[in-house]
Amino acid sequence: MIAVDKLTVAIRNLRNRTLSAQWRFTLGLSALLLLLPFTFRLDGQSHADWLQFLGSFHPLLVHLPIGMLVLLPILEFAGANRLGLRESAAFVLYLTVATGVIALVFGILLAYGSGETGATVTRHMWGAIALLIELLVCINIRPSWISGGRQRTYPALLAVTLLTLTWTAHQGGSLVHGSDYLTRYMPSPLKQFFPSASVASDVAYVGSAYLGNIHPIFDAKCVACHGANKEKGRLRLDFYDLLMKGGKDGAVIAPRNPDQSLLLQRVTLSPNDRHFMPAEGRTPLTPDEIAALRAWILAGASPTATSIPGIRTPAVHADLPLQPVGDYSYLMNDIREMQTSEGAKLVAVSAKPSDGLILRTVDVASKFDDAQLARFERFAPFIVEAELGRTAVTDACFDTLSKFTNLRALHLEGTKVTGQALAKLSSLSQLSYLNLSGTKVTSDSLTSLKGMPNLRHIYLFDTPAEAASAVTNSTPTSTK
Amino acid sequence: MKQHPLCTDCENPITPLDLPIPPGLKREWAAVETRRRFLGRSGKVLGWAALAGLFSELGLRGLARGAEVDLPSTGAGNALGLPHFAPKAKRAIYLFMSGGPPQMDLFDFKPNLAAQFNKDMPDSVRGNQQLTGMTAGQAHFPVAPSHWPFGQHGQTGTWVSALLPYTARMIDDLTIIKTMNTDAINHEPAIMLMNTGNMNAGKPCLGAWLAYGLGSMNDNLPTFIVLQTKTNPKENNQPVSSRLWSSGFLSSEYAGVGLRSGADPVLYLADPAGVDRDVRREMLDTVEQINRQTLAEVGDPETNARIAQYEMAFRMQSSVPELTDLSTEPQSTWNLYGPDAKQPGTYAYNCLLARRMAERGVRFTQIYKRGWDVHGDVVGTLPTLCKETDQGTYALVTDLKRRGLLDDTLVIWAGEFGRTVYSQGGLSEENYGRDHHPRCFTTWMTGGGVRPGITYGETDDYSYNIVKDPVHVRDFNATILHCLGIDHSRFTFKFQGLDQKLTSPVPAHVVDGLLA
Repeated sequence: MIAVDKLTVAIRNLRNRTLSAQWRFTLGLSALLLLLPFTFRLDGQSHADWLQFLGSFHPLLVHLPIGMLVLLPILEFAGANRLGLRESAAFVLYLTVATGVIALVFGILLAYGSGETGATVTRHMWGAIALLIELLVCINIRPSWISGGRQRTYPALLAVTLLTLTWTAHQGGSLVHGSDYLTRYMPSPLKQFFPSASVASDVAYVGSAYLGNIHPIFDAKCVACHGANKEKGRLRLDFYDLLMKGGKDGAVIAPRNPDQSLLLQRVTLSPNDRHFMPAEGRTPLTPDEIAALRAWILAGASPTATSIPGIRTPAVHADLPLQPVGDYSYLMNDIREMQTSEGAKLVAVSAKPSDGLILRTVDVASKFDDAQLARFERFAPFIVEAELGRTAVTDACFDTLSKFTNLRALHLEGTKVTGQALAKLSSLSQLSYLNLSGTKVTSDSLTSLKGMPNLRHIYLFDTPAEAASAVTNSTPTSTK
Repeated sequence: MKQHPLCTDCENPITPLDLPIPPGLKREWAAVETRRRFLGRSGKVLGWAALAGLFSELGLRGLARGAEVDLPSTGAGNALGLPHFAPKAKRAIYLFMSGGPPQMDLFDFKPNLAAQFNKDMPDSVRGNQQLTGMTAGQAHFPVAPSHWPFGQHGQTGTWVSALLPYTARMIDDLTIIKTMNTDAINHEPAIMLMNTGNMNAGKPCLGAWLAYGLGSMNDNLPTFIVLQTKTNPKENNQPVSSRLWSSGFLSSEYAGVGLRSGADPVLYLADPAGVDRDVRREMLDTVEQINRQTLAEVGDPETNARIAQYEMAFRMQSSVPELTDLSTEPQSTWNLYGPDAKQPGTYAYNCLLARRMAERGVRFTQIYKRGWDVHGDVVGTLPTLCKETDQGTYALVTDLKRRGLLDDTLVIWAGEFGRTVYSQGGLSEENYGRDHHPRCFTTWMTGGGVRPGITYGETDDYSYNIVKDPVHVRDFNATILHCLGIDHSRFTFKFQGLDQKLTSPVPAHVVDGLLA
């Protein structure tokens, strides 16, 4: 507040002062501004209510100096022809500084009062201080620009000031609306220029109960205030290590001791308690979520354990991850062309490209022969399922198929294969499904498949092999 | 052309367009013509403007998608990013037992009921439930134990009624859900809820959602086919209407194609005498041209659906005879499906067709069997119903299994609700009736994605309330979608301002306990 008084006095007297006195004032005020963050240290604790009350006017106040600062270059530019505008520009400049200082003070009150910490709020604060100092320097060098002295310095500094304003305002916007407020609803064509800074998670813990069950709770309910952008109570819950480090009151998780875990205490208080979390009327944790947290802490709060007694893991049925097939985007044009024309097609297993491709021949089965199959060789490593049932392929197809290194399922039902070259499939380590129904495959030729580790389903319905095995085996159609 | 009221020559109305005037003037005249036409046109212009607005939004969205993942099509649904994850089942066959099979006479074994014969069911069991008009007036609710003995079958030792000897043979392959429950107590809302996730008509059914989301796996047969079983007049047949396989607010292309249950599954399939394939093709090309003009003029997306359906019909002219030509089936097929399968329209015949469709890349087949609505004479009709369906169901699952198709086919057996343990009407030693019961009923699934050989959930001693692990219809549908690689909560279509889902806006959960 003292600074404000000083400033008004200064503005009144500025014209009459000597240059050195102006500079002295500038340096003094700058020093004061620079001291502010150290006086009101952002320690993550909330302070007196009246500070927060006053602070809440910061968003209201801050837009006045912003508007005037944007107006300033317009006035200066238009003032080249109309001197009156240039005179008013000086006034606007002084007013900008005055209101800017007020807005800064209120901003610091807000941050200090409500206990905001984090990189963004710090950047926002320092940006504002830098902005005001730049404006103070502007005040000092403008007269020489007006009087025809140094012609470049003032416009250059004004430009720098505007850039600083943009950056600082962006930090402010991120504080209020979240760090992705600009890109969130951006049309996708633009988005590709802004690679999304997706929150890195604890990659090392993939597959753990922590990542599967616990982290999502924090992510949904807590990270808005205890994350990279806001760090209330100096506590962050977005990474395991930070969670275990705790906040200003020490550790929040006591492994094997849920009742001593501050985090669990705070989320289980009465919602009316002022320490209840999540604060500020955000969605409380559900009983299921609290139970999961409790079970996880009781089991030792391990980041790696894959199953926790008492947690209904949605991942119980999770399959072994499919072997990714690699990047085939360079072949996309050919794949797409195939889809629009008649003939065999390559279709994706799922929306995840690395799940691979299915070779589908059903519409052209009778015409699909070994030569046609050979044309798919360049897609070989990306094909995980080959639907060749009732096609015209023969034993020669195994030469091509042996190159389908990621093949998981192979349909050869109703084809002319005799099984002579089946041994060539033995290099396909991923193959788990082989359908030879309705072929002339004999049981002898199947022996070559014995050593294949993943081959769990072989179908031999209506084959000589089935007839042979029926004698010895009561379940002839599938060997599991 | 409409007759102008002031025109005297009714045969040949003269318009300025016929006059020898400069073409520019004619164009101008054509543009204004009459007030009526002007008003009509201005209405259309508004429609066009609205449509253009819609399309530009769609266009933008298309652009937005383009920038995301470059992915080869998985069918029509490629733009939707489906399947969300690698599916266990590529296709599904839904055996719909319309009418509501009595769970306690088939799967839900309650041995202690025998001692309760003809005793009133305790009021505490029923609670304040509102019954149907058919039994609400009954003074007594006498417990009717199942007339048939149950036996333990398979390695799992699962109890199955003696009415289902074939199903009992494959019991180890089934995922039995004893705790299905629904919101509706009457047929129409219940059957709509089962099929479309909503009791009100106008929503797309499961098959339409799948056709829309996953698209076709072949060019020559529809993505979604419905087979109705010929009705047995001795049974209590509740109506089954085409809105059960309608596409609702999705394009008509995704609606189920019903095959007839007679000797001709599709009428007028063969070209008439003197019309060969080329003539037919030419005709269709011309029709398509006209349709495209209409589309350009009116802009109704249904015209697109019509064009696609003409094309599908043309291809079905050759694919359907091949599909229904059963002469190539080996004797082992007939041994398995039984003699009924030779008669078109029977349940066993439809099961055989379903297997053949699965082989030919049909995404979703739904077989309707009516007559399960056994309000009276359970002892008389239930054995017939079971005899009509038991072997066909067993044959289908077994056939799929031995041919290696069950790995990626999900087979579902379900009705729209269950039946009451208390007798509707008189209860005697020989006979009883059963009313509708939405609180619990038994369904099963087998094949791709579900865990074989389990029984999920428990009901109370009266097979009336659920004791453990309820599975609501919505959860059931969510689980089916999961098996087909779809996250039900992300599979939406914006209509009437809502992101519509098969599982409706009420929360639904995939039942983990059912999954393999």
